[in-house]
Amino acid sequence: MAELETKRRPALSADIIQRIKPVTLATRQVMDVPEMLKPLFPLGGVQRGTSLAFAGNSGWALAMAIMAEALGTEGWLGLVGAPDFGLMAAAEYGVRLDRILVVETPSLKLWPTVVASLLESVDVVAVAPVGKVGLRDARRLTARAREQSSVLLHLDGAATWPTAVDVVLAARARDWSGLGDGHGHLVARRVEVESTGRRSAARQTKVEVLLPGPDGCIGEVVPEAAVAVSRGGSEPALL
Amino acid sequence: MAVLWCPDWPVVAWGVPLDEPAIVVVGNRVVASSPAAREEGVARGQRRRDAQSRCPDVAVLERDVGREVRLFEPVVDAIVEVTPRVEVAGPGIAGFPTKGPSRFFGGDKALASTVLDRIVPVLAKRGEGRIAIADGMFAARLAARSANLKNGPVIVPVGESPAFLGGFPIAALEQPDLTDVLGRLGLSTLGAFAKLASADVVGRFGKVGQLAHRLARGEDDHPPDLRRPAPNLAVTWVFEPVANRIDQCAYAAKALADELNASLVADGLACIRVAIEAETHSGEEHVRLWRHDGALSSAAIAERARWQLEGWLGMAVRTSGKTGDQADDDRGIRRLTLVPDEVVPADGRQLGLWGGRAERADDVTRVVARIQALMGAEAVLVPEWRGGRGPADQITLIPAAAVDLGEERVATGIGWVDEPWPGKVPAPAPSKVLLDQPEIEVVDTAGKSVVVGGRGELSSPPAIVIMAKKQWAVSAWAGPWPADERWWDPLTQRRRARLQVKLEDQSAHLLIVERQAWYLEATY
Repeated sequence: MAELETKRRPALSADIIQRIKPVTLATRQVMDVPEMLKPLFPLGGVQRGTSLAFAGNSGWALAMAIMAEALGTEGWLGLVGAPDFGLMAAAEYGVRLDRILVVETPSLKLWPTVVASLLESVDVVAVAPVGKVGLRDARRLTARAREQSSVLLHLDGAATWPTAVDVVLAARARDWSGLGDGHGHLVARRVEVESTGRRSAARQTKVEVLLPGPDGCIGEVVPEAAVAVSRGGSEPALL
Repeated sequence: MAVLWCPDWPVVAWGVPLDEPAIVVVGNRVVASSPAAREEGVARGQRRRDAQSRCPDVAVLERDVGREVRLFEPVVDAIVEVTPRVEVAGPGIAGFPTKGPSRFFGGDKALASTVLDRIVPVLAKRGEGRIAIADGMFAARLAARSANLKNGPVIVPVGESPAFLGGFPIAALEQPDLTDVLGRLGLSTLGAFAKLASADVVGRFGKVGQLAHRLARGEDDHPPDLRRPAPNLAVTWVFEPVANRIDQCAYAAKALADELNASLVADGLACIRVAIEAETHSGEEHVRLWRHDGALSSAAIAERARWQLEGWLGMAVRTSGKTGDQADDDRGIRRLTLVPDEVVPADGRQLGLWGGRAERADDVTRVVARIQALMGAEAVLVPEWRGGRGPADQITLIPAAAVDLGEERVATGIGWVDEPWPGKVPAPAPSKVLLDQPEIEVVDTAGKSVVVGGRGELSSPPAIVIMAKKQWAVSAWAGPWPADERWWDPLTQRRRARLQVKLEDQSAHLLIVERQAWYLEATY
C-alpha cells in the first residue's frame, strides 16, 4: 500500500507540473537589449514582469538605449513623473516617439493607481516617484507588473522604492570625447555600467560602452583616437 | 414597459392614406408597405418590380428617415405630456416605463388609453397608434403588433411576459443568423429557446445568444450589466453663431458622436441608450432618449442625433409662426449635447496572444482614458517633433486626447522636421532637459563672470561653474551657439546663447545665458 502511494505521488506531481508549466518559455518573455549590454542581464535581456532601476549620472541615457532595443517597433513606453526626461535623446537612441505616453506627475495619492493602470497595457513604465512609496503600494505594483508581463523601470535608481528591485544598473560617465577647450562639441561618452540585483541577477557584472557612441546610439568602446578621427569633420565652425 | 407602435410609419410619413397601395423602398427592396398594398400580395423584402407586378398602381416612395423622425416627433411630444421618460427606438416606435405613470393614472389600462387619447388627434387619421404594455421592451413590441384599434391596448400582466412570448416563432428575434441555427436545432418558438439553460446558450452562442435568450425569456427590461455612465462622458457642442440648417447640425452631431464613442470605447463601454439634448437660441430645451437593443455605434448615434435635430428644427418652423431671419435665429440650435444614458460593457473581441497593432492601441487608449478620468484630460501627453534650437524646443507634448493612438503619426518620425535651424546645438541630445532651469554662475579663472558679447563671443573662457553653491572645474567646453529668437518681434524677441561644458566629474551640461544670467538647461 505504501509502495503504491509513493508510486502515485510522482505521477501526480508530474501532472501538476504539466498544468502549471508556463505556456511561454522564460526566454520568450525576455525583451532584447543591445548586444554589448547582454552580459548585464542574467537572461540576456530584460525579463518581462520584473523591475529595473537606473542610477548614476548616465543612467537615463542607458535606460534610453535599453528601451529602444527592448521596445522594438511595437512596444509602448509610459513615463510617469519624469518631466525632465529627454525625449529627443530617447528618439535619437531609437525609442519610437509614437509609442510614448507622458503622464504628468500625479499626486502622491494617485501615483500608485496611475502606474498600476499603465502597467496593464504599456510594456515599460518608467517612473521617478514624487515621494516615498508605501510598502503596500510597492508590493502591489510589483505584483501587477509580474501579472501583466510589463516592466517597471525606476529612473531614480529606486531611491524611494521600499522593496528590492530585480536589476539595478549604475552607469557612470568615464570620459566624453569631442569637446575641446572652446571648440568641438560633445560626441561620445565612455560609460561604465555595473549591474547588481537579486536572485539570478545577484552577481555583479561590469561592462564599458559608448553612450552615446559617435553615431548617436549605443556603441562599443574603441580606442579614443578612432572616435576623434571619425567625428573630426563635423565640428561646428567657430564663432 | 409600454410601447407605442405606429404601423407602416414610413408610408404614413409620406402622407399617403393607408387605404391606398404604397410601398417604401430602399435600393429597390420594399421596406414598408401600406395595408392596401399588402392585400395585393406585397411583402417586405420583395423587389420593387415584384411588388409593382403584383400591384400595378402602387405608389413607390423612397425611404426618408429624416422625414419619418420629423413627423414622429409630435407623436412623441404627445406621450411626453403624459410621462417624461420616453425613449425612441426608431421612427414609428417609442417606449416608456409604466411603473410610475400607471400608478398615477390608475392602472396600465388607464395609462394606455390616456396616451392613446393624446396621440390620436396628433396622428389625425393619417395613421394609427397601437399600445402594448409588457415586462420588457421586446415583449411590449411584439404585443403592440398584435394590438389593434378594435381590441384596444394589449396588456401583458406583470410576470407573464415569458408565457406570452413563448408562442411566438423564433424568427421574432429578428436575428436571421442566430434564429436560422436555432430553427435547425429544432427550437421553433421563443418558448422552446427560453427553456434552455442560460449558461448553455452563452457557451454555444456567446454574447449574441445571451442577449437573444434574455429577450426570449422576457428579461430585456434592463440588461444585468447595465451601468450608469460617469456624467463627464457627455459631450457638448456649442454653435456660434446658432445653427439653423440641418447640415450644420449634422456635422456637429458626427463630431460629437465620434467623440462620445471614442470615450466609451476607451472605457470599454457601449451605449444602448443615448440622450440627445438641444437648446435653441430662444432658450428652449429639448431632450429625447434614443435606444437601441444592440450597442449604438458612433455612426448610429450621429444618425439619430441628426434625425432628432431635423425633427426639432422642423417643429420650430411650425410652432413659431415667425418668418424671415428672426425666426431663423430663434429656432436655431445653440447647444447640442449627447449623453450616454445607459451603457453596457462592450463585448470586446478577445485579443490574441500577440494582439494586433490596432488592438494594442485600443488597449493603450483605454488606459489613457482611465488616467484622464483620474487626473484630467490634459494629463496624458504624447510627444511630437517641432522645429527648434534647444533640446526643449524640438519636442513638443500634445494631449493624447487630440490624437488617434492607433494611427501612424507623421510628426513622431525622425525627419519630420528637416529645415535647418541656425544655432541648433549638434547631436547628441541631452538625456535630461530641465523644466525648471536653475540659475548658475559661470566664471573665468580670475573669478569674473563670463559674459557673451553682442556678436556671440565669450568675454573669457569659462573655468568654474557654480551650481547649488558647489564649485565645479570646467575641463572642456564649446560654444557659444547663439540663438536669436524672434528678432523680428521686439516683444517676444529673445537673445540667448548656449554653451556645452564638461566638468571635472565627467558630467556634461548644456548651459544657457540670457541677459547675462546663466542657467542650467540640460544634462547629457
